[in-house]
Amino acid sequence: MNLRINDLFVSYIDDNHVLSAVNGVGFKVEKGHITVLVGESGSGKTTIGLACMGLLPDNAEVGGQIWLGTQMLTALGHSSMNQLRHDTIAMVFQNGSANFNPVIRVMDQVAEPLVSRGTKKKAARKKAGSLLTRMGLAPRLHDRYAHQLSGGQIQRALMAMALILDPDILILDEPTASLDSVTKSFVKKIIKEEAASGKAILLITHDLGLARDLADKTLVLYFGQVMEETCENIMENPGHPYTHALVRSFPTLDATRDLGGIRGNAFYRYTHCHKKGHDTHNHIQTDTVHDDDHVPVFGCIFRPRCTQVIDQCSHAIEIVQKGTQKIRCARGGITRLVRFDGVSKTYGERTALAPLDLEISAGELFCLVGETGSGKTTLAMMASGGIKPDKGCIEFNREDIKKRAVSQITGVVYQSPMESVSHRLSVYDIVAEPLRIANTEKTQVNKMVLRALKRAQLSTAPDFLHRYPHELNMGAVQRVCIARAIVNEPLFLVADEPTSALDPSVQAKVLKMLLDLQTELGMTLLFITHNIGLAKKIGDRVGVMLSGHMLELGAAKAVFNSPCHPYTRLLLEDDPEDHPNLSGRQNETSTDPLCPFVSRCALADPLCFKKMPLKTAHGKGFVSCHRFDKPAEHFACGSIKGSRVAGEFA
Amino acid sequence: MSRDGLKEAVHDPLFRMGLFLFGCVVITLVAGRLLTPFAPDDMSFIPLSPPSWEHLLGINDGGQDIFTELVFAGGNSLGFGLICGGATLFMGIFAGLFSAWYQGLVDQLIMRISDILLSIPSIMILIFIAALFRPPPVILALILAVMSWPTLARSFRAQGLILKKRLHIAAASQMGAGSFYIIRTHLVPELFPLYLVGFAGKMRMAMFMEATLAFLGLFDPSRKSLGMMISYALKYYYMDIWWNWFAPPVAFLTIMIMSVTFLAISMEKVFDPRIRNTTG
Repeated sequence: MNLRINDLFVSYIDDNHVLSAVNGVGFKVEKGHITVLVGESGSGKTTIGLACMGLLPDNAEVGGQIWLGTQMLTALGHSSMNQLRHDTIAMVFQNGSANFNPVIRVMDQVAEPLVSRGTKKKAARKKAGSLLTRMGLAPRLHDRYAHQLSGGQIQRALMAMALILDPDILILDEPTASLDSVTKSFVKKIIKEEAASGKAILLITHDLGLARDLADKTLVLYFGQVMEETCENIMENPGHPYTHALVRSFPTLDATRDLGGIRGNAFYRYTHCHKKGHDTHNHIQTDTVHDDDHVPVFGCIFRPRCTQVIDQCSHAIEIVQKGTQKIRCARGGITRLVRFDGVSKTYGERTALAPLDLEISAGELFCLVGETGSGKTTLAMMASGGIKPDKGCIEFNREDIKKRAVSQITGVVYQSPMESVSHRLSVYDIVAEPLRIANTEKTQVNKMVLRALKRAQLSTAPDFLHRYPHELNMGAVQRVCIARAIVNEPLFLVADEPTSALDPSVQAKVLKMLLDLQTELGMTLLFITHNIGLAKKIGDRVGVMLSGHMLELGAAKAVFNSPCHPYTRLLLEDDPEDHPNLSGRQNETSTDPLCPFVSRCALADPLCFKKMPLKTAHGKGFVSCHRFDKPAEHFACGSIKGSRVAGEFA
Repeated sequence: MSRDGLKEAVHDPLFRMGLFLFGCVVITLVAGRLLTPFAPDDMSFIPLSPPSWEHLLGINDGGQDIFTELVFAGGNSLGFGLICGGATLFMGIFAGLFSAWYQGLVDQLIMRISDILLSIPSIMILIFIAALFRPPPVILALILAVMSWPTLARSFRAQGLILKKRLHIAAASQMGAGSFYIIRTHLVPELFPLYLVGFAGKMRMAMFMEATLAFLGLFDPSRKSLGMMISYALKYYYMDIWWNWFAPPVAFLTIMIMSVTFLAISMEKVFDPRIRNTTG
């Protein structure tokens, strides 16, 4: 039997608010499949589950239909619903032990649905016992009370209770929220088995890892609306900016970077209906906005927290099919902000940057790694409009930049803070400079400068505003530079080794602030560094450059966990300084179009000395190497360390 | 650079000397002009009478009070110097920094013009124009400025080229700043000390040039000038009046030029990077 939800609306009504928890959600839970609902707390996941069970509280108002096979659940009365519950449709509730009666033994409670349907108590207890054993609960635990069991055991007992009547539809609400990873994988196995045995399973979770492992279909819910419906792995291929933000905030073992977080606060969605003659209108309420502050809601509900907002986002948006995904986004999912189309740059004889294609999506942190002279800075300066490429072009997404000039939507943080500001300007004048160049109104300038300084965690006291850079320490000057870069709220921030001139303690602070700012302002960040450790910590995607060539590009976790290019492997070694191959630097004057790493590469074969390798698509990126897929035993570095690395990637 | 530089300059004895002399000159000119009871073109006195309490430096051959003449002539010289120095500086900044900023064709054009001007002896042109057209002194000062900006422009251009490579200027240009904005807010103030040096040097040159032209009688005779006073006094060299008629304008001109020279040399020592580098 299938469970079908059509255009479901659920609102909770109190004295003068209507909290709309579910807003036009429609999907189908098919037999033998696991459908997963993911989203932050408050997104209406549990409400949907409860609506399917007919267990919504009295102040809930339901619109739309829920079909169980050919029966319309929303039209059924209490008694007929009681018949279906447990029998045909069962739910595992969250909050473990709160669902058990503390004075009845667990096994009796698990057996209760059977008993209430006329089975003999002994037979029912026997069935409950075998089911609990299947859930991995030892028989000695069966006769305990709920408070005598651990959270994980309770959770499994609940599963047993839901399964005891072998329902067709199983709704699981956060079944693994309180479980450790071992128990979790056990529960996962059971869920899979149940789906394989022909149950239609609706899994409600905020655990993206669980969704990735189990889902046949995933729905991403945001405040009562489905933002994305996908059959793909949402961790690998998020389609909606919200999904992407969720993935960035979710800790996994294979992710290399720190957690990102989502800008802004989650809010509740209220329809306001004052009783004293005011109009009814939508507004949102965040944790920080006071109840009386009405922020009207219109258009995309994720708009206040999105990284790629344009004017169209303020119009109502329908969910549309896009490839294998359905996405509710005016921009058709995650967009790219900037595209490099075959850009190249030469200084005299020397090629600073070989023709390069690169796309950077809105809201991501793209990390560019490479040694000095690899063309990183050239690329960054081009991206920010500082220098013009010899060939090719750099395109920003027209919709994003609207009428603003490229210089107005990009901010740059340079490597050496002291040199990047004029010693004649005071702190205030330094930060105000981009605004003055853009002819911003005077009062506006003042406001924006103070805001930027606050964001960069600097003082806004008049005394500080009138200081000169040489009166400040390096860390403070770099903060001033960051404030200058973000003062006109750019979409795109280019950070060229922003912390390498600072000492480690200051470096850590400044870096953390920069990353927080990226999250808070929803900026797209192009981060350039020679420090591969740093890149590993912060990058969503990583590009590895050498002598103006992009050798490898891909998702950070792919590049760092399974590097393809021998050069990336070399960089990832603990201490490349010791490496014999590194001592011979590449021949920069060589005009032959060869792999720039060829002279140092232990894997190089005759082909490598003949022609430049083409870019080979690999994962979500590419690698430019003739031999990246060759057996890695050949990757002998000439040191013990090297052979260990080779072993890892064999 | 500028603040520390000025502090350094103040401790230089040469700078102090120059400043003192220049102060004396200015005070003499201002006080003299206020105190003297006579008009400079008043010819009602007994010619060639020796100095007295009434006429401090006596009377010249035309029946004019020499002290009054000296004070007005000094003022004219100084004014000529200031106007010419200022105009030269302005043109030098304009040409030098534009040439440095835009480079390419603009640079080529400006630098070739400056080459041409450098190769022409300005005194010849000035004598020619003064003799032929008899223009007012202000115009002559401006013409002299047009002839003498290239040296300043060259030094400003050289410094501008160095400045241009600075990161904060690249940053401003990345922020979308136009050329005028960058030249105005980042390049012009940065070279301020060099302007002082250049201005003092050009002013000295202009005052000397004014005296020369006046000595040659190329100015309107009714306009008082140190050069002209010297020239007239020389005609009576056989009489015993050199100490009250001939010596004062010579001394005054010397002191005036010397004071400005001292200031220029001292500031150059502090501010000009080329000299700085060689002297450490």
